[in-house]
Amino acid sequence: MKAFANVHPAACMTYFLSVLSVSMFIPHPVLQAEALLGGIMFCATLQKRREALRDLGFYLPLFLMIAVTNPLFSHNGVTPLFFLNGNPVTMEAFLYGVSVAVMVIGVLLWCKAYSEIMTSDKFLYLFGKIIPKLSLVLSMALRFIPVYLRQARRVSRAQRAMGLYSGKSFTDRIRNKLRVFSAMISWSLENAMETSASMRARGYGKKGRTNFSLFRFRSSDISLLAACVFLLAVTLAGASLGITDFTYYPRVGIIRTTPDALAVYASFGVLSLLPFIMEVKEAVVWNCCKSKI
Amino acid sequence: MKKRISYGIMFLLIPAVVLCGAFLFPAKQYAWISLCAAVLSCVPFFLRFERGRVGTSQMILIASMTALSVLGRVLFAPIPGFKPVTAMVVITAMYFGGEAGFLTGSLSALISNFWFGQGPWTPFQMFSWGILGLIAGLLADPLKRSRVMLAVYGAFSGVLYSVIMDIWTVLWADGYFNLSRYAAAMVSALPFTAVYAVSNVIFLLLLGKSIGKILDRIGTKYGLQMR
Repeated sequence: MKAFANVHPAACMTYFLSVLSVSMFIPHPVLQAEALLGGIMFCATLQKRREALRDLGFYLPLFLMIAVTNPLFSHNGVTPLFFLNGNPVTMEAFLYGVSVAVMVIGVLLWCKAYSEIMTSDKFLYLFGKIIPKLSLVLSMALRFIPVYLRQARRVSRAQRAMGLYSGKSFTDRIRNKLRVFSAMISWSLENAMETSASMRARGYGKKGRTNFSLFRFRSSDISLLAACVFLLAVTLAGASLGITDFTYYPRVGIIRTTPDALAVYASFGVLSLLPFIMEVKEAVVWNCCKSKI
Repeated sequence: MKKRISYGIMFLLIPAVVLCGAFLFPAKQYAWISLCAAVLSCVPFFLRFERGRVGTSQMILIASMTALSVLGRVLFAPIPGFKPVTAMVVITAMYFGGEAGFLTGSLSALISNFWFGQGPWTPFQMFSWGILGLIAGLLADPLKRSRVMLAVYGAFSGVLYSVIMDIWTVLWADGYFNLSRYAAAMVSALPFTAVYAVSNVIFLLLLGKSIGKILDRIGTKYGLQMR
């Protein structure tokens, strides 16, 4: 599972940025649908069925909400479906709403996949060389959070033992949390100063800091990166030639089916389905290996 | 020389990226440009921090203030909109200066979204919390002197946060600045804006003095140079 999680961070980041930039900024119905499909397939390989069902309960209402409310804001378009309070509700506005909904949900799904795959250690691995101080601050803050959470639990248990309960009421809950929070602040800042003293003592600032996780750039990463760059280049070339231009107002445009347009659709389709394809390939190889035993 | 090359790259690369994007994505060029602006406006602060002579203790103080504000966002997660993040950013800025405030704000947004989900809104959150910290750093003296000013700034920052975040929503959905959708987004976000503003005021008034005392004490105890 998660063949994509083993990809080198640089290839991974390039991949996510290219899919996200196309799906966020090129509002063409075919590309949007492909991005949504790719996002659904990717998230399906990442999630358990229960999680996926719960997500469906979130995304479906969101989809309906965006698609249905757009005609209420926008009365552009030439094909009125019906009139509401004297304002025309047009087919174009409705279709535009659907396309915005597809785009928003596609991007949300891709961001979800990004959060699952690009964990913070990969992020730091990528940026540690370029911005060493900042990424040290980032990694320290990330390290502090679990430590502080543990300490916050300790503080809250101690306060409970002292008889400082929190009731069910809203203000009481807030007051309780604030008490814990302000105890945390002085503890953590004292702690921070000690950490800084010990960092100085251990020679912070010398060369040769190492990363928590090591990633090797394998040949599979090179081929993924090459495929990603090539497919993105084809898609963007299509965008720069105006093949992916599409208008909803005043009249819904026509989806082109010329060979060059089909090439653009195909290349973005493959790009957005790459993680799913890799996953399937992995599963097939695994089954082959198993059957050989 | 190296510095000059990197500045050259910045001056050439940034307009190139913005223009290419505007050319490639004509339907969404405003959304693209605003996203670029949000990302790029954080860069000078990060570079200044990177280049500057920052002591370990200052770095670690920023890290722990960031961790605390993320922790606050996590602790108060069950109550929607009611978060101490802005208050923590403002307090950091008041006592450690605007640059520290900017860094704490933008890093808090980045880190807490590892839990709450990254998305196109991340750069905008980084920018708005950062800029709130920066302004608080500039206004540090009046904010420290009067509680009324502090409360006013808390309310203002709640509103500003909403105003900045909704610009993206509209630009992205419509491709241009649709005023009626912006108004609708602002109205539908009104309860949240109100909660942001009220929670900022509450947290600033409750925490401002006590955290300020702690920070002052730590400053004297460890001989830190504040600001």
